[in-house]
Amino acid sequence: MRINLSRISALIFLLLFSIYSYLSGEIKVFTFDVDAPFNAKTFPRLISYIGILFSFLALIFSKNEDEPVSQYEWLKVFVLFVLVFSYGLIIKTAGFFLSTNLFLIIAYYYLGVRSIKLIFFCSVPVVAGLQFLLHELLDVYIRDPLLQSIGIIS
Amino acid sequence: MIEGITIGIGAAFSGYNILMVMIGCFAGTIIGTLPGLGPMSAIALMIPITYGFDPASAMIMMAGVYYGAIFGGSTSSILINAPGVAGTVSSSFDGYPLARSGQAGKALAIAAYSSFAGGTIAAIFLLIAAPQLAKVSLSFQSADYFALMCVGLLAIAAFASKGQFLKAMIMTALGLALATVGQDSLSDITRFTFGNINLMDGISFVLLVMATFAMSEAFMIIFKKKSISFKASDASAKKLGSIKLTKQEVKEIAPVIGRSSILGFFVGVLPGAGATIASFLAWGFERTIAPVKERLNFGKGSIKGLAAPETANNAACTGSFVPLLTLGIPGSGTTAVMLGALLSFGVQPGPRLYVEQPEIFWAVIISMYIGNIVLLILNLPLIPYIARILAIPQKILVPLVLFFSVTGVYLISFNSFDIYFMAIVALISLVLRVIDYPMPPLILGFILGGMIEKNLRRALIINDGSYSFLWERPISLTLFIIMIIIILIQVYQGLIKKN
Repeated sequence: MRINLSRISALIFLLLFSIYSYLSGEIKVFTFDVDAPFNAKTFPRLISYIGILFSFLALIFSKNEDEPVSQYEWLKVFVLFVLVFSYGLIIKTAGFFLSTNLFLIIAYYYLGVRSIKLIFFCSVPVVAGLQFLLHELLDVYIRDPLLQSIGIIS
Repeated sequence: MIEGITIGIGAAFSGYNILMVMIGCFAGTIIGTLPGLGPMSAIALMIPITYGFDPASAMIMMAGVYYGAIFGGSTSSILINAPGVAGTVSSSFDGYPLARSGQAGKALAIAAYSSFAGGTIAAIFLLIAAPQLAKVSLSFQSADYFALMCVGLLAIAAFASKGQFLKAMIMTALGLALATVGQDSLSDITRFTFGNINLMDGISFVLLVMATFAMSEAFMIIFKKKSISFKASDASAKKLGSIKLTKQEVKEIAPVIGRSSILGFFVGVLPGAGATIASFLAWGFERTIAPVKERLNFGKGSIKGLAAPETANNAACTGSFVPLLTLGIPGSGTTAVMLGALLSFGVQPGPRLYVEQPEIFWAVIISMYIGNIVLLILNLPLIPYIARILAIPQKILVPLVLFFSVTGVYLISFNSFDIYFMAIVALISLVLRVIDYPMPPLILGFILGGMIEKNLRRALIINDGSYSFLWERPISLTLFIIMIIIILIQVYQGLIKKN
């Protein structure tokens, strides 16, 4: 049996479903429900059995092929991931308009857009348009301290 | 009944209600096209707007939004492989490869024609057989629903996994496991939240769909240097291709549309089944009955593989109105939102609606014809414009897809935790996709998890904890046999491959 990514992933899933199975057993049910035909543990336990069975089968029967993974752009994806994460961090404090524009501008620039006009037209009007649609037409309120401080939204 | 239909025609063909259908279809198409905003959020957003309307007009408009969003979802599935709705996930299996091969126009036209045909044929079924069909769904018990959903999960794992049945089953189990996060619906006991208050209500469906499809697709574009999944630079308006279908192509998809309409409608009628199962089943069914040579083309740009789910999901949308209007049971998540809207209007759906307020019952049904015609008229001329999304360079498109995905999720909860969680799920999905783990089984497992648990609970309690219900009831037994057949086919195919 050769070790390859499919087998490693199957092993990870096997461990994951084993932990899930253990945690299913740890779910605290009401005393009167312990011997009931069905309680909060029953379904998770069934799922864990299915998961363990199929992960085990995948571990045994996976093909002996190595998938090349080195030619991919891991770094760029990781930077975008960090960018999305940072967007989540600042959206409440900086507000929707500023944080979204910052997110888009940095993402465009990082991915290679160098035209300032293009960056501007693909960020500010898009965000402003969506925010207008939500606020004025659909009555969906998004908290935005910046726009509030300059009196654009109430 | 004739009197009711007459009242319905009168109401549906009033200028005001036709306008409502048009606005609904247009808004639905636009919203549905944006990854992350599906019919559920579109209809939820429409509820406050429709407060001033009479119930019939409000329902007509919402039905238009529903259809429009389903079609819009197909558009984003086909063009950017980012389905906004679960019901259009299977449209991307063949729609996206078609678009990538320079036939985006044809793929969208097939989607439009199939949606129209599916919706219209199903509306005829609905008109003729609504009361009788309600009786059919009444005969289904929890045990049958449980078995039906298990068949759905197995079928998806078997048919939508490109030969990776074991991996698909792991993803199904993972989807089911994710569905158990949060409070148990009956006992209110929290499960797998690890003390995190943000997980108390469970994982949001929109979050999971956006993370596993839209956001991970955006990551994938960047991940693969010379993107094979996203040839945005090649896809200019010139390469859209003709939206006209040849006689041969029409001949090929016509029987598929007929079969998928029937299948979609009947699956849609069953409460809880809905457009997602219908579209997956239709795709899987057509793939199974196709000759071996054609079967190999499924998932690689088969026009039959696109027509089947597109027809079935629209037919199922129509079908899902049957239990909603006649039994008061929502046939899908979206009709559940509609049920909430109806209750807020003081209208109680159920058998009495048919008797006491026929204008609502029949006007909604009649307006489905109008809605389908409006969608066809609206969408066909717009196809070249909609398809231009492909011409956007990927360095512009990727941040926009990320933005719409994040915004779609954030607007539901206004919780930053959802953004972090989404980014992590998208990253994991990317890794899983690279090693050939299919995402549709995970989504279906997640969607059906809650319903399966509910029905299994009822069935087990009724049967004193015994699983004998699987072979004691004729419907369950039939479905149980289908499950075994699916598994045996997979084992057989696995053995053939090995030899």
